[in-house]
Amino acid sequence: MIGQVRSELLKQRSTQTAVFLFLAMVGLVALAVAMHVLALSKTRLATNAHQLDVFQIGTRAGMLFAALAGALAITAEIRYGTIRPTFLVQPKRSPVLAAKLTVGALTGFVYGLLAEGLMAAFAAIAFSLRGIPNELTGSDYLRILLGGASAAALWAMLGVGIGALVRNQVATLVGLCAWMFLVESVSEGFVPGAAKLMPGSTGLSLAGNEHNLSIAIAASLLVGYTAAAATAGWVTTLRRDVT
Amino acid sequence: MIELGSQGPVIECRSLTKRYGDVVAVDGISFTLERGTVTGFLGPNGAGKTTALRLLLGLAEPTSGGALVFGRRYRELEQPLRRVGAVLESGDYHPSRNGRDHLRVLALAAEIPPARVEEVLELVGLGRAATRRVRTYSLGMRQRLGVAAALLGDPELLILDEPANGLDPAGVRWLRTFLRDLAAAGRTVLVSSHLLAEVAQTVDQVLIIDHGRLLAQGPLNELTNADKTLEDIYLELTGSESR
Repeated sequence: MIGQVRSELLKQRSTQTAVFLFLAMVGLVALAVAMHVLALSKTRLATNAHQLDVFQIGTRAGMLFAALAGALAITAEIRYGTIRPTFLVQPKRSPVLAAKLTVGALTGFVYGLLAEGLMAAFAAIAFSLRGIPNELTGSDYLRILLGGASAAALWAMLGVGIGALVRNQVATLVGLCAWMFLVESVSEGFVPGAAKLMPGSTGLSLAGNEHNLSIAIAASLLVGYTAAAATAGWVTTLRRDVT
Repeated sequence: MIELGSQGPVIECRSLTKRYGDVVAVDGISFTLERGTVTGFLGPNGAGKTTALRLLLGLAEPTSGGALVFGRRYRELEQPLRRVGAVLESGDYHPSRNGRDHLRVLALAAEIPPARVEEVLELVGLGRAATRRVRTYSLGMRQRLGVAAALLGDPELLILDEPANGLDPAGVRWLRTFLRDLAAAGRTVLVSSHLLAEVAQTVDQVLIIDHGRLLAQGPLNELTNADKTLEDIYLELTGSESR
């Protein structure tokens, strides 16, 4: 099992995918911060709650890119066919999935930390450029970092599960992006009661960007979604032929 | 290493059958391969060779019947890479991973020491290309990388699916020498091909398959004679001449 995990880690390190994902995340966070902080009026950025709301950019970016990395860990293998040698080495398949989920959680946590860190840095610069006092406390930052990174770790595992279930790389990546930016945003307008229970929103609650749910409920829901996706992906991977 | 049951056949297929909907890809194939034999698995494109090999290697589940490797299902082998080396036709590489990392990924998962990676790279003549990304490799180099992967565990049984496909004359000569060396070392080899000339020079016995059915099997010197070459028999059985 340790060998399988080290194999998965080397798979991540030995292609340029992680670098591209990281650069894309930096670009997206910088752009989104610039749009929010520079475009919104000062009164809409004045309070602690307003600023926490802006910081959801970092949490969302962390969750999304962690999920993309998790999904790519399995769909890239299916796309390029490396899943065949992977399963020839480990024909029982379950250790492969366990290793992908483990490595997914680790890299997802790192994506979350990086995204929230970038968010904090860009926001500090943007606030000071406009002369807006930073209203966030040390405990706000702690919850953003730890909550955001935990949410990203869970989203990475969710990405592994969805990728294993869907298998098609483009469909999986487009689906995850659409869920994060379309389905959840639109639902907030039409069915706010349901929207706050959705996976992205529970992550925002974990990181303290929203206060719709308690940490315990948000964490339980997100763990539940992740477990469901991982189980579905796991079961189908054991059953399906590799063609 | 003497193992229990090491006197049994290396490969045993019993009424191996695979259906995809109405299409019968592999139709009740039965054969056994003894230790130290080199067997050509012959048939036109689409005859069912690749599907049969995937069933044998646990990548796909048979609809009925079964295939055993060293007396067990492939999925039940402990450390399968140390018993069976396979080169699949599909050429399964991540284009932006380099040759050495491709092998290291597999070696880590199979708990094979890294020194063996360097050995097989030298063995197939890829030592100097080891740090190049696989996308820059020629077809012949990719085939040799596949062979290197199959040799990682120093296995007793080698399975090669269409290894001569797309090789230039130098590559074909290399492959022929390589197959002869394997045979001389007493390894069991199953090589699928639709290129008869290459196979006839190397194998002891043949299995001829078309439309998923096994049409002939036996030692090459019993099937062929002065009036009938392997090509004559093959074209007669598969009806390829009239296509």
